[in-house]
Amino acid sequence: MKEYTAPLARLIDELKHLPGIGQKSAQRIAFYLERAPRDDVQRLAEALLDAKDKIRLCSLCNNLTELDPCEYCSDPRRDPEVICVVETPYNVVSVEKSREFRGHYHVLHGALSPLQGIGPEQLKLRNLIERLNGGTVRELIVATSPTVEGEATAVYLAKLVKPLGVKVSRIAMGIPVGSDLEFADEVTMLRALEGRREM
Amino acid sequence: MPLVETEAIVLRTHRLGEADKIVSLLTRQLGRLRAVAKGALSRRSRFGSALEPLSYIRLWIYDREGRDLQRLGSAEVVESFFEMQKDYRMQVAAQYLAEVTERFLPDREVNERAFRLLMAVLRALKHFGEVNRPLLFFDYWLLRLGGFLPDLSCCMKCRKSFAGQAGFYVESSESLLCSACRSGGSGTQLSAQALALIDEFRSARIEEWLRMKKAPAGSRELRLFLEQVIEAHLERKLVTRRLLAEEG
Repeated sequence: MKEYTAPLARLIDELKHLPGIGQKSAQRIAFYLERAPRDDVQRLAEALLDAKDKIRLCSLCNNLTELDPCEYCSDPRRDPEVICVVETPYNVVSVEKSREFRGHYHVLHGALSPLQGIGPEQLKLRNLIERLNGGTVRELIVATSPTVEGEATAVYLAKLVKPLGVKVSRIAMGIPVGSDLEFADEVTMLRALEGRREM
Repeated sequence: MPLVETEAIVLRTHRLGEADKIVSLLTRQLGRLRAVAKGALSRRSRFGSALEPLSYIRLWIYDREGRDLQRLGSAEVVESFFEMQKDYRMQVAAQYLAEVTERFLPDREVNERAFRLLMAVLRALKHFGEVNRPLLFFDYWLLRLGGFLPDLSCCMKCRKSFAGQAGFYVESSESLLCSACRSGGSGTQLSAQALALIDEFRSARIEEWLRMKKAPAGSRELRLFLEQVIEAHLERKLVTRRLLAEEG
């Protein structure tokens, strides 16, 4: 005898494909949806399809958007002379949380990771170079993750962009706010010292 | 569940859920294994940079035999290779070492010599800033330690010694033929200079060999052949090999 009836088994199976969802989480979500009012489930299904159909990449910055160019690229209050380079679209949200950055973005959709077969060709670099060749951009802020992959990507970008006469800066790295020096390892401490500033 | 302290080299990590990581490790006392590092991606992670690829770390692991995934208690950096991998070419080279090690060595089999080989080659990459010869040294010794190194002194068909002559091989082949035995002039040549290199580094420590002279002729062609032998043995293409080739 089958463990679950066919439509429920199919739903669990589909949910299991989502990142971070294992068998147990998939079962829990499937049973919740089965008990939920039909309208709620319909809204969820429509939202999923709507997002899939309407979201595309901004032709300028590669961020996820419904309109092309995206709201950041088309906002006249933002400074087009400064571009912040991030790995993923949700990194844009993280930078925006600071409420300090008012420039434009560029999303690479990854970082150099040889083990995953991601080299420079797999990153969205071509339209970045096109933007920089336009002559408007004064500074490129590289906000890739403080990992081996993020650092290699930052250094690679700097080498690529500096000959174009654009200033390249890297976000600071080091001790997280609210942490303690006692727990900093050698790499973190080195980064914190390198990124120190005059007061 | 016993808490075991061991030294390890981080081979690769995968994201698991919101803030955890699965870490593939080559440990000194337990061999190659995988473990879950809870909260490794969170802002207050107790692992810091210890789980970055190729870090040489000391770790405490909850080891339960028969389990596919162990649990990592804590880890601290003994020696970091983070700075070295800021250079993309070095990153590709370092991750080639990780990929080959992960594919080549069996699970849970202690291999002290492979551990020391990987450490020595990582240090050579870091200190000499050169990719080609450290990888050649690694390929040769890993194949030799594993017992998969073909006889490179003579033709596999007629057994005639190369003695100053070039060898030839075809794609996915694991051994060499002499010019007389190769069919219809086919195959890639492995020069006599490349074959002679083996004698240079067979009896030397890696740092001694790297100090001897800069970029000896034939080292790249010998490395490309040994990479092919590794792929043939693994019966799969290495992802990092393609990127290494692109980097020249």
